Amino acid sequence: MLFFGATADAAGQRSVEMPVKSGIEARSVFNEVLNKFPQLQHHKLLFAVNQEYVSGDRTIGDGDELAIFTAVSGG
Amino acid sequence: MDFFELTSEPISIESVARRVVPPECGATVTLDGYARKFTKNKETGEVRETLYLVYEAYEEMALKELSKLIDQAHQKYEIANVGIVHRTRRLEIGETSVVISVAAPHRRAAFEACEWLIKELKRTVPIWKKEVYADGENWVEGETTHSPLPPSQS
Repeated sequence: MLFFGATADAAGQRSVEMPVKSGIEARSVFNEVLNKFPQLQHHKLLFAVNQEYVSGDRTIGDGDELAIFTAVSGG
Repeated sequence: MDFFELTSEPISIESVARRVVPPECGATVTLDGYARKFTKNKETGEVRETLYLVYEAYEEMALKELSKLIDQAHQKYEIANVGIVHRTRRLEIGETSVVISVAAPHRRAAFEACEWLIKELKRTVPIWKKEVYADGENWVEGETTHSPLPPSQS
């Protein structure tokens, strides 16, 4: 699980390994991260799996790259 | 040829603008977005002075999203080539943070596509801006219409 910008600051790290059961829904994994790093809950968050925005029912497999970040502010 | 890049080096606006020009086109519209010194807090109205900016990108995903935006722009507008370059890391005030150049046979499509591209870039491409002040710093959080995951009721 990767963090960027505000979420990296909130988590105090840039990435964390998450052992998960294969076939688990993205929603469960992201909620697990929110519980582990409650400071993240102060932000409006977006989620990605393998560099794509995902919906909560997307299933997660071994080696997937997950990311959690705040609403983007480039430009 | 379309192109999209991230760079931690200063961006040459002219070189981006010239790279998109094909012979069959009549106009290139180029947006030069740069770091602003004073920013107003949308909620409190407070104006703060920024010393410098730091941009961070989720590079692999940012490049994928830029590629998708350019594909969509081609579907929506009569345009020939698009070039987008976005800076990362530290930027001084007044330095260019993003350049978008759109070449088209006719200028109207180029203007419209350029406006659409910057709006979408600010909404979807995973890049974040940190404003650093004399007395602190703040990661700017954008507005987005991407629906976040609904939290599970546990």
